[in-house]
Amino acid sequence: MSRFFLLLATSSATLLVFGLWIPLKAVVAQELLELAWAESQARQTDTRPWPWADTWPVARLTVPELDQSMIVLAGGHGESLAFGPGQVLGSDDGRGPKVIAGHRDTHFDQLQYLKTGSELRLQDRDGDWRTYRVLATRIVDSRSEQIDTRLLSEDSLLLVTCYPFDSMDAGGPLRYVVEARAGRSGNGNDMEQIGTVAGT
Amino acid sequence: MMLSTGLLKLAPRLTDGQFRRARRWAEGVSLWLAVLLMLFVHPLYAEANQMELENAGLLHFVDAGGRWQEPAIILDSEFEIRVSGLIADSQLTRRFRNTSGEWREGVFVFPLPENASVYGLTMKVGERTIVGKVQPKAEARKTYEKAKASGRHAANVEQQRPNLFTARVANIPPGETIAVELRYQQPVDYRAGEFELRLPTTLTPRYMPGQHLAEQSGQWQGGWAVPTTEVPDADAISPYTVRASDVDAGSHRASVRMTIDAGLPLARVISPTHRLETRLDGQTVQVQPEQGRLLMNRDFVVRWRPLAGQEPTAAVFHQRWQEEDYLLTMIVPGSGNARVLPRELVFVIDTSGSMAGESIRQARSALQRGLDTLKPEDRFNIIQFNNQTHALFMQPVPAIGNNLARARRYVDALNADGGTEMAPALELALATPTDGGGAEDPAERVRQVVFITDGAVGNEAALFNQIRQQLGRQRLFTVGIGSAPNLHFMREAARWGRGLYTAIQDPSDVGGPLETLFNAMEAPVLTDVRVEWPAQTGQVESFPARPGDLFQGEPLIQVVQGSAPEGVLKVSGKLPGGQKWERSLDLQQAAEGTGVARHWARQKIDSLLDTARLEGTQPDKSRVTRLAVEHGLMSPYTSFVAVDDTPVRPSGAPQGTDHLPTLLPAGSKAGMLRYPQTATVAPLLTALGLTGLMFAAAIGLLQRRQSV
Repeated sequence: MSRFFLLLATSSATLLVFGLWIPLKAVVAQELLELAWAESQARQTDTRPWPWADTWPVARLTVPELDQSMIVLAGGHGESLAFGPGQVLGSDDGRGPKVIAGHRDTHFDQLQYLKTGSELRLQDRDGDWRTYRVLATRIVDSRSEQIDTRLLSEDSLLLVTCYPFDSMDAGGPLRYVVEARAGRSGNGNDMEQIGTVAGT
Repeated sequence: MMLSTGLLKLAPRLTDGQFRRARRWAEGVSLWLAVLLMLFVHPLYAEANQMELENAGLLHFVDAGGRWQEPAIILDSEFEIRVSGLIADSQLTRRFRNTSGEWREGVFVFPLPENASVYGLTMKVGERTIVGKVQPKAEARKTYEKAKASGRHAANVEQQRPNLFTARVANIPPGETIAVELRYQQPVDYRAGEFELRLPTTLTPRYMPGQHLAEQSGQWQGGWAVPTTEVPDADAISPYTVRASDVDAGSHRASVRMTIDAGLPLARVISPTHRLETRLDGQTVQVQPEQGRLLMNRDFVVRWRPLAGQEPTAAVFHQRWQEEDYLLTMIVPGSGNARVLPRELVFVIDTSGSMAGESIRQARSALQRGLDTLKPEDRFNIIQFNNQTHALFMQPVPAIGNNLARARRYVDALNADGGTEMAPALELALATPTDGGGAEDPAERVRQVVFITDGAVGNEAALFNQIRQQLGRQRLFTVGIGSAPNLHFMREAARWGRGLYTAIQDPSDVGGPLETLFNAMEAPVLTDVRVEWPAQTGQVESFPARPGDLFQGEPLIQVVQGSAPEGVLKVSGKLPGGQKWERSLDLQQAAEGTGVARHWARQKIDSLLDTARLEGTQPDKSRVTRLAVEHGLMSPYTSFVAVDDTPVRPSGAPQGTDHLPTLLPAGSKAGMLRYPQTATVAPLLTALGLTGLMFAAAIGLLQRRQSV
């Protein structure tokens, strides 16, 4: 009996540790990414945050409303999503539509609080900030829908994460999509590019 | 782990009374926690179950995690083409092999040549052959659905666009194959001494302009696009497009066997798209692709050229069908030297997302070549469009060094992105005022529009209307780009635009067809064409009823009902200089041909649809249906259906539907992005860990109590 008890206790504890390790990794990695981002801005090249990483920082995303700031990595594969939101679509020269995906349990768990009109800010490697306004949020079924990149307008930003937010199912088919457009707030300052010191 | 051992160590140090109280407290808390957890977890499971139910019977290509799943049906195609004279007769066999353990229905959206007349459908199940019938579209669909529900083998082929069809095959038994055999014929293209036959195998995903119609319930309809105000049938013409690596290695391949019996000695047979294996056998040539079964991701194009000096200048074919005479004639006017007038050339280039990849490179080089043909006295402009339209110059400018250099830089910087909003671009191109030149008379300037696109739009009909209304005295030429251009759009847009069309297959091929087009564009060689059939008692009905102007190397083709092969056909027209051109053709020389009657019927149906468009009315549906049924043809209002007699699927066995994807055209970039997997197992692990610990704690407490 006590052996069974010990087994149950240790295995549950292990599960818990693994479960907590994922968000912990996500938080710690962002700190490391800050350094890599600062370096890539300073050198104007892709800088890997650690030598064996298969991704690199490409942008910084801030949500002033939620007081969040995170480094966006290249690619939407599991490797990069574990450490930060991944840029699934977006050209190097900063033109064209962008699609950024993130884990709903870690970096993008706050996405549910974004409303129409919420502000998003994206900084590229040159240090230029671009302000986006949330146009709409919607829920899609990833089994039946794909992102038609040709229909996205030049200045749009899509944030994608899993839905429902409090679900336990890691392989659910639903996705929560936040659609944002650059410079749609009415005041002309949105497109203004503000030079910033690298890494701030 | 630390947590649990800590708990264990902590417990014995307490005194008995404290311990009992603590235990009660812990028991209470854990009970409440367990209840809360149940409340928290339960709705999630309920939700998950509901979602499973909603989508029962519907198969997805992408599983919940965003990973690709191969369809259970493997598709195999076989083309067998016989060219005799001006008509190519094809037999296309599609085999649907069900690799799953369940009964399946297969749905496949596929292209056929834009001028094909489909006249036969047979379904083969094992040894048995079931011959299909032509029925009015709605009726055929009903017949099919009924057979599908009752568990009988059934096949249905419908026309969505003149070059886009849907095949449905119901009740494919697990592990077995059903073959659907389509028979169609098409006229062979003949221009500038060269014949061409094109076999489309896939389609470029089309852009659907307009506002989405009523938001759908998230139910997948078989296509990725949602019906819009401009394209109400968008979901029917937008099959999922996948990379060749996404389907089974044996699926989506086609074998092609072609026999060319041109009736005259051939100099060469070439293909700009595939390497060919040709075998000469008297006057007939056997052609097949060298690689054997070819991947269905690009059009298969074959061109053949008669020996120099033996190019046909006239031909007559005769067929007697159901007590009626049908004639097919071809006359090639001589290549008169046109007086070259100064032109005003507007290039319109499609820079929408579907052009991304190889296509935009081809389009850029085509445009550069177009700029080469300009002469200093010409004027030109360049318009690019995707969701937005942008013109290089405010108005057409003289083709002088400075302007040309600027244009070349502009063209080099073109990138493909965004939607395909063609209407505003056409409007801008066709409406630019001609009198920008001031004193010189604009009447002398020939105004031409060159439209470079892949034609990947869903609202073709509306665009043809627009061309017709805004054309005025201008001419519109279309250049098809990419591995699978929408040739229906190219041909019809050029026809309504009183111009020519061509298609480029791959970068190395930019020269040939384009050169022919730009040469021919200089001026039409024959205008005001009149055709006079020999006076006879019966009623003569010929198509095209009013032949348009002819360009260099372009033949005049007429198909007629009611004229016996006797007497003389007179054709006249006006040469560029203003002289009269006349030619007569002895109909008695007519060779026996097949398929002439069907070709006539198809032309007649097209002309009925054209008339309706010109008058802005609904086409005479019943007349088209009658004509199509009489000649056994597929049309916008008739489709084929074949149904087996006996039910084979046990009434209890479920049947899923597989919508087969088409392959992404070679060289084009995927426009569709799959949603990535964006959840971790963290919450699940945490929850499991907590629950486990809670149970452990409960058991621990229980043990203590027993031992006390």
